[in-house]
Amino acid sequence: MASGRDVRDMLGLPMGGDGQKSAVQKRAKAAAPVRRIQGVAREVAALYGERPPPVAVYEEKKAYRAKRQNQGPAKKWVQQPFVNQARSDGLVLKHWRRKPTTAPPVQDGEDTPMEDGESAEPYIENSADFLKYSIQVDLPTFTDEEYDAYLRSDDWSREETDYLFEVVRDYSYRWAVIWDRYDYQPANRSHLTQETVNGDASQALAALPFAPPKQRTVEDLKARFYHISAKLMKLRIPEMQMDAEQYTLYETLSKFNPELEGNRKLLAAALMNRSMDEVKEEEFLLAELQRINMAANRLDAEREELRARLEHPSANQQVSAGLASFTSSQALQALFSQLFAQDRSKKRASGGGTGPSRISLNTNDLIQTPSSANAQLSAAARRQSMATNQSAQTPIRTLSPQQEYRYNVSTHDRLTSGVTFGSDKLLKMRQAKSNVQTQKIAAALAELGVPDVVPLPTSKVADVFEQLIGRVGKLLDVRKVREKEEGESRVLAQMKERRGSSTQGGESGATSVEPQAKHEIPDSAEQTPGLDGDEDNDEDGDGDGDGDGDGDAEGEEDDEDAEGEEDSRVPSETVSRAASTAHKRSASVLSQGSVQSSKRARK
Amino acid sequence: MNTLNSSSAPAAGEYAGDEVAAIVLDPGYSTIRAGFAGEDVPKSVCPSFYGQIDSDSGSQYLFGENAIHTPSSNLQIKNYWGSDGIVEDWDTAAKVWEYAITSRLTGARAGDPAKNGLNDGPKENGNGDAMEVEMETIENQEKPLEESPLLMTEPGWNPTKAREKAIEIAMEEWGTPAFYLQKTGVLAAFASGKASGIIIDVGASHTSVTPVLDGMVLKKGVQKSPLAGNFVSNQIRLGFKQSQPEIPLTPHYLVKSKTPVDAGTPAQAIYKTFNIPPTDSFRHYQEERVLTEYKESVVEIWPGPGRLSNGTNDEIAKSMPGRPFEMPDGWNQVFGVDRFRAAEGLFDASAAITDDANPRPKDEHTLPRLVQAAVQQVDADQRPLLLQNIVVTGGSTLLYKLGDRLNYEINALYPSTRNKLIAPGPVVERKYAAWIGGSILASLGSFHQLWISKKEYEEHGANIVEKRCR
Ligand SMILES: Nc1ncnc2c1ncn2[C@@H]1O[C@H](COP(=O)(O)OP(=O)(O)OP(=O)(O)O)[C@@H](O)[C@H]1O
Ligand SMILES: [Mg+2]
Repeated sequence: MASGRDVRDMLGLPMGGDGQKSAVQKRAKAAAPVRRIQGVAREVAALYGERPPPVAVYEEKKAYRAKRQNQGPAKKWVQQPFVNQARSDGLVLKHWRRKPTTAPPVQDGEDTPMEDGESAEPYIENSADFLKYSIQVDLPTFTDEEYDAYLRSDDWSREETDYLFEVVRDYSYRWAVIWDRYDYQPANRSHLTQETVNGDASQALAALPFAPPKQRTVEDLKARFYHISAKLMKLRIPEMQMDAEQYTLYETLSKFNPELEGNRKLLAAALMNRSMDEVKEEEFLLAELQRINMAANRLDAEREELRARLEHPSANQQVSAGLASFTSSQALQALFSQLFAQDRSKKRASGGGTGPSRISLNTNDLIQTPSSANAQLSAAARRQSMATNQSAQTPIRTLSPQQEYRYNVSTHDRLTSGVTFGSDKLLKMRQAKSNVQTQKIAAALAELGVPDVVPLPTSKVADVFEQLIGRVGKLLDVRKVREKEEGESRVLAQMKERRGSSTQGGESGATSVEPQAKHEIPDSAEQTPGLDGDEDNDEDGDGDGDGDGDGDAEGEEDDEDAEGEEDSRVPSETVSRAASTAHKRSASVLSQGSVQSSKRARK
Repeated sequence: MNTLNSSSAPAAGEYAGDEVAAIVLDPGYSTIRAGFAGEDVPKSVCPSFYGQIDSDSGSQYLFGENAIHTPSSNLQIKNYWGSDGIVEDWDTAAKVWEYAITSRLTGARAGDPAKNGLNDGPKENGNGDAMEVEMETIENQEKPLEESPLLMTEPGWNPTKAREKAIEIAMEEWGTPAFYLQKTGVLAAFASGKASGIIIDVGASHTSVTPVLDGMVLKKGVQKSPLAGNFVSNQIRLGFKQSQPEIPLTPHYLVKSKTPVDAGTPAQAIYKTFNIPPTDSFRHYQEERVLTEYKESVVEIWPGPGRLSNGTNDEIAKSMPGRPFEMPDGWNQVFGVDRFRAAEGLFDASAAITDDANPRPKDEHTLPRLVQAAVQQVDADQRPLLLQNIVVTGGSTLLYKLGDRLNYEINALYPSTRNKLIAPGPVVERKYAAWIGGSILASLGSFHQLWISKKEYEEHGANIVEKRCR
């Protein structure tokens, strides 16, 4: 704030009116600390320097009470008799009051000054100061007629009801106290004394229309009182005319349920009387719960962070599902290929496959560990030569059908890659999708006298065998349908029997359904038992869970897995890689199964 | 009351006070407390024990602290209380009470003597320093309480007869214009500023636990037991007797002079001799004074957790530093674990020291059990409220660490509620809580409508006390 002044000072400008003002301020400021540190030795005050003292100095201005002015002789006080307006008996007590003087100012407004209090008969003050504390409670009242008409109860005598009301008034609705003091003697207390005075207590007892008093609970007392209150309220103000407040009061009064209250109290008492162990346990459990919640939250947060950091591959998959989304093998497969591709690209980025990678799932890598440019080149050359050989062979000779038949030449629209054994093909045909089905096929073949291993599995044999298997399949289907239909018809027959009507209609109905269903039902019939396995194979390859299609499903899964792997790998590979793969495959063609299994094991 | 000065009256709204020079009388087994309402300590505290000298010309009574400690032949020390906290000897009770009131309060007062009207009647002969107040002196007076309303305290279980007797004495013998009876429990709660709570009062002759709700005693919940100050004194005596070697208990009046001795060695003192030795009751009373001193300075209560007998607590107590005590004749010793044993019986009946004449106290008389029984009798909804206001009062609660132990025991009983012990620190507030509560109550302007006036008493008879003082 001093800057304006400084600038003016520097520029040689006149201070103007401002200067004086600030000078005044300055003086005031300088004066303030002096006043503030009154009572502190000057040396100590000097130590503070210009800065404010390190502790707030509490400035007590009124260190000493103002000197009492002498107001003449001491004021006189008198013991003023007074009656309390809240009392009806005119008890006179005395309290000290300033003796009224001729001078008007008297502090207490209510005691009117008396000029000559002592000469006349003593003035008695009428005190209403504490009248406001004399409070009477409101109680509903009822007449005898009303009682007889509406308020009678089997449980309560008129006398006891009156007593109850009296007690409620005496203890101003403090129910705990009311219950504590509630001590109804069949003849009311005042009556009792009268009667004992009269000396015929026995007569008083005999005159009682009710049994000796019973122990009443707070709820009993409340229930009776509320019941009467509600009834009376309704009598005085019809329900229609009650305002909202009155009506809620009426509701609470009339809806009081002593049992509910009693139970609640029991529960409350039980809660209070829990032992230390129980309380400790509860505390412990609560603490534990909190701890677990906190740990879970922390874990979640950590995971979240980890995931974010990993830029995890399937960002579009449901992140929240976490690992759960990788339970299916297909998903795993996808993840694997993705990871694989990433790995590959990283490796390439880092300058070629000069060492075994961390995730060495790649069979190529394993095979060509001493990978060099030369090897790759030669592999490519070999592949090329093979390709030229094949393309040169096929178009050259055209054979006649007989020759074709003789030399067993077959033409294919599309060749599956690799070499397969004919026996493998036959073996494959024996396998159905479910174990049971496979067994059934085997049984049917055995019945037909087809050996387990067909000698000379030529392609023709394979064709015939295929037809045979197809028929066997149909046969089995039909059998199954028959069994099913038979079962159904049996059930229907029994149902019919039970109904007591003729069995004819049911039979014919069943048989008439059969041929129609023949084509339809096999599918569904076949699907229903193997439904799980089927879907699993198709969708996620996880055949666990149904014991039926277990082994089979897994076997198939193996194949599919392996194939899927290769399929997915092939397009992403470079040409040279593809060549080496082909080379590898031709080399390992005989032991394909074993390679696959070992691969799986490694995986 | 030093806020009052002669130049200004207290503002009306400042406090709801309206002092009418009421007298508050709080009689207890060990002392009687009396004083003017509105003051913060009782002006007159005089022993409930009195001396009686029987001679041919009738019995002579000695009242007051100064009169009953002088050994003289045939002097018997008696107490008007019965063992259960109910006055037994009403005639003497009235005399002792009257002494307590007149000796310090309504006698010649230092204040403005011309105005209080008390001096108008026949002169009491300087009661302020009276060592002995004889019957004639008292009878000379008109009525000692003609000017002052009287608020008296009573135990929670006072029977109707005793209450009626009290109002009779106040109205007819003392001529008080107005009278009221209030329970000690309620008043002790008021003294701590509470209208509801559980009041644990460990006095001399008995311990009481009183549930109070909105200024009213819940009668069903009132519990009492004889395990209090006198019981502790008795335990100490037994402990002294049973210790090896026996610890000698010599009251002051027997010792003429003493020389210092080492701890544990026999005392070297010159004892007084009496031609006719004072009675046993005198000696017993004098011994009691020594024991009170011992209680004040040595006895300690095992503060918990657990009881003294639990596990290794005994060992821990043994390893705590002892406390020295010197008998009036110079015998002295450092008391170790023994000092814990004297009062353990208040909490654990099985730990009480017993002999043939002093059987084991009842379990239900121990403090925790009393509290439990009292709480049990209260409406379930009110229990937590009461447990939040546990007022501790009575001289024997000054026993060292009693509060800690009580706190532990109550928390062990009710672990799920918020239990709060209110134990005022100042000794005076602890010992005189009931009186202080009475002082507050009787100086409230709104209280004056509750007094039973002389007129009402005459109209309705003594039974009015039952109706009005609930
Ligand atoms: N500092 C103290 N330590 C231990 N005990 C004490 C202490 N001061 C007093 N006492 C004991 O307290 C008892 C007196 O307490 P209090 O004045 O509350 O009893 P009282 O009200 O006269 O008796 P009661 O309530 O039984 O009628 C005596 O037994 C006395 O020995
Ligand atoms: Mg007491």
